[in-house]
Amino acid sequence: MADLSIAVRQVGDVAVLLPAGFINAHTVRHFEEALERLVQDGRYTILLNCKDLSYISSAGLGAIMGLIETVREHDGDILLSNLQENVFTIFDTLGFTQLYRVFGDEDQALAAAAPEQKG
Amino acid sequence: MASKVDHAQFRLIIPSQTRYLNLVTGLAKRASLVAGLDDATAAKVSIAVDEAVTNVILHAYHGEGEHSVELEFRFTEQALEIHIWHSGQGIRGDQVVLPDPKEYIKHPRKGGLGLLLMSRFMDEVQFKADEASGRNECCLIKKIS
Repeated sequence: MADLSIAVRQVGDVAVLLPAGFINAHTVRHFEEALERLVQDGRYTILLNCKDLSYISSAGLGAIMGLIETVREHDGDILLSNLQENVFTIFDTLGFTQLYRVFGDEDQALAAAAPEQKG
Repeated sequence: MASKVDHAQFRLIIPSQTRYLNLVTGLAKRASLVAGLDDATAAKVSIAVDEAVTNVILHAYHGEGEHSVELEFRFTEQALEIHIWHSGQGIRGDQVVLPDPKEYIKHPRKGGLGLLLMSRFMDEVQFKADEASGRNECCLIKKIS
């Protein structure tokens, strides 16, 4: 199995990104490139479905932090769903759950993203 | 008569390359479980080790892959100790400045979170320099409750 594989699909106006594996200093460039491609394509509302993400280190958090201002400047956002316990702990420990909207599953996240698309 | 060793230990030496990070963090997680820590705590220890070894590779060795990083896992009745040695650029404990998470959230930027995760997930994080050997050490300690 690859260290990190990333699938992307579009659901309405939301780009759903599914990282599978782990994100650390070794794999983060792959993750960053996937995020940057979405932004370059003008897809500013991004949902990270983390159901298959086994862990994320500060390198991965930095990649998300590096784009949050850009997407919000374009009325988009980065949403998170399906966080495994240890991944949630990392976000929560650093207070990032105040910065990002976190949802239990993808459907909840897409429903929350829909009103802002219309607004 | 040989003196009794008061702790068990083992060592691992890896090249200073990020491709070995997952090997080390997997080992750190298993070692945490052997030490008697629970699954959630073992996951935290493995992340702290990831951050510490990443700092060595990227900052102490500036990303140069031809060096080595030596790790020792020590098992005592009170704690799991993870010692990480390298001969790159060292850092002293009094040079460590942890970012304030509240300020970080107000002004998002890349970097600076690794040390914060290490300090939050471990009971002690120490940085030492051994002038005799020219090596530097990062020591991570997790107490066994």
